[in-house]
Amino acid sequence: MKTKKLLSLLLAGAMSASLLAGCGNTNETAETGDDTADGGETTQTSDFQYIQDKGTLIVGITNFAPMDYPDENGEWIGFDADMAKAFAQEMGVDVEFIEINWDNKIMELESGAIDAVWNGMTLTDEVTNSMSCSDPYCVNAQVVVVPSDVAGQYQDADSLSELSFAVESGSAGEDAAEALGLNFTAVQSQSTALMEVASGASDACVIDLLMAGAMIGEGTSYPDLTYTVNLNEASGAESEYYGVGFRKDSNMAESFNNFYAAMYEAGKVQEIAQTYGVQESLVAPQASADTAETADTADAADAADAAA
Amino acid sequence: MSASVTFSSVTVTLFEGLVTTAQLFFLTLVFALPIGLLLSFGAMNRWQPFRMLRGTKFASGRFGCALSELRPISLVVKTVVWIIRGTPLMLQIIAIFFGPRLLWGFDLIDRFPSALLTFVINYACYFSEIFRGGIQSVPVGQQEAGLVLGMTKGQIFFKVTLLQVIKRVIPPMGNEFINLVKDTALARTISVYEVLWMGESFIKSAGLMWPLFYTAVFYLAFNGILVLLFGWLEKKLDYFRA
Repeated sequence: MKTKKLLSLLLAGAMSASLLAGCGNTNETAETGDDTADGGETTQTSDFQYIQDKGTLIVGITNFAPMDYPDENGEWIGFDADMAKAFAQEMGVDVEFIEINWDNKIMELESGAIDAVWNGMTLTDEVTNSMSCSDPYCVNAQVVVVPSDVAGQYQDADSLSELSFAVESGSAGEDAAEALGLNFTAVQSQSTALMEVASGASDACVIDLLMAGAMIGEGTSYPDLTYTVNLNEASGAESEYYGVGFRKDSNMAESFNNFYAAMYEAGKVQEIAQTYGVQESLVAPQASADTAETADTADAADAADAAA
Repeated sequence: MSASVTFSSVTVTLFEGLVTTAQLFFLTLVFALPIGLLLSFGAMNRWQPFRMLRGTKFASGRFGCALSELRPISLVVKTVVWIIRGTPLMLQIIAIFFGPRLLWGFDLIDRFPSALLTFVINYACYFSEIFRGGIQSVPVGQQEAGLVLGMTKGQIFFKVTLLQVIKRVIPPMGNEFINLVKDTALARTISVYEVLWMGESFIKSAGLMWPLFYTAVFYLAFNGILVLLFGWLEKKLDYFRA
């Protein structure tokens, strides 16, 4: 009996020892984990190299005409999609487009599930703080969209206070609506915001000028909607710019800026822009863009005309 | 673009999503059912490694007493089940897909397998509780009778207990299966393109709301088949009343 007890005690001791050893092991693996994370950071400093080694540039997008949208065959086209394809070709890698949940874009990027957020992304503080962003390539504004038949009544910022607005949650449009003290509801996407107005659930919505240009008016799904007030002009706020987002501390943004400048110089950017009707919004590469923003746009338009 | 969207093209797109939904559903069941059964055994495990302390001087203290009654396997399983049932499935999906990548730069698990893994873990925990309820509802007297007749524990479980368990867990399992069909929609958080994602995609691409509501038909049909299947199973097992 006594030996049995002793044996049990010994076994129990051995088990707790192995448990402790197990703990030790976990710590060790955790440390190695940290090491790999460090290693990950070193590769992040040469993100360009990492993507080249991998052989594929994975671009996170949403379905957002005219920047990224599928053609009849399901292939992704649009101004951003075509630019991404050209950039990947320049890098000598394949390009893969993945539709992501826009709310998770930073996690997608930081986790390496995608390599770039390239989808008419407005360079807000949220974005520039958490990503390594390219120089702006498009200029954008937030506009108010209302049904055409009442558009006449809402031509200035003062007339907007009585309306109920729908804005995309976390978008530049929401910021603008908040800044003006408008009465708004945050919805999932800009297209949901348009649906709100079309269905009458909201009186108006605030969306990107670029999107408004492509999505509403005659020949679109929303022929009865139109845009009126430019909130950036109305509030005297700075214009918004679109940029490409890469992983924080990545050298990809710089590579893209150089690529963009060269493409712009060659008139290729203007060509692609013309295809998708965004030539008015193009921004010249930063090096030659010390002049005012309006001049930039004019330059871009001129250059685009010249290219055409 | 919007001009090319027709009822049949939407239907085809939603069917593509349904394939993903169905894969997620069936694969989850294939893995979660056996794992759930194992977990239920774990939760009922009575192994007390420090039992021999009982009656000793050490066990008279509060700590020693607790230690002598500790059932480590059961405790670990119950803790895991508590964590998994106690946190939102959506959070688990995000954590399992993004977590390893963010912490260790480990990116071997793609979107679909990652969603599948989350569903398997989550549903195995729910199933384990259902199995446990089923097993414990079979009177202990039957096991004792089996022992008296000289049956082994394995024989008792497979020949006496299991069939009664299956019969009893069918109604709650029906609930969980139907929940699983609908929960697969959460996989769209990490861009697994299932039915609901496909339905929503038409809002962005063509400004169409109706495909989103049309997805309900697909879910209803899927669940309708399950309801019929479970009704048939219940009938089939009706021949013995335990």
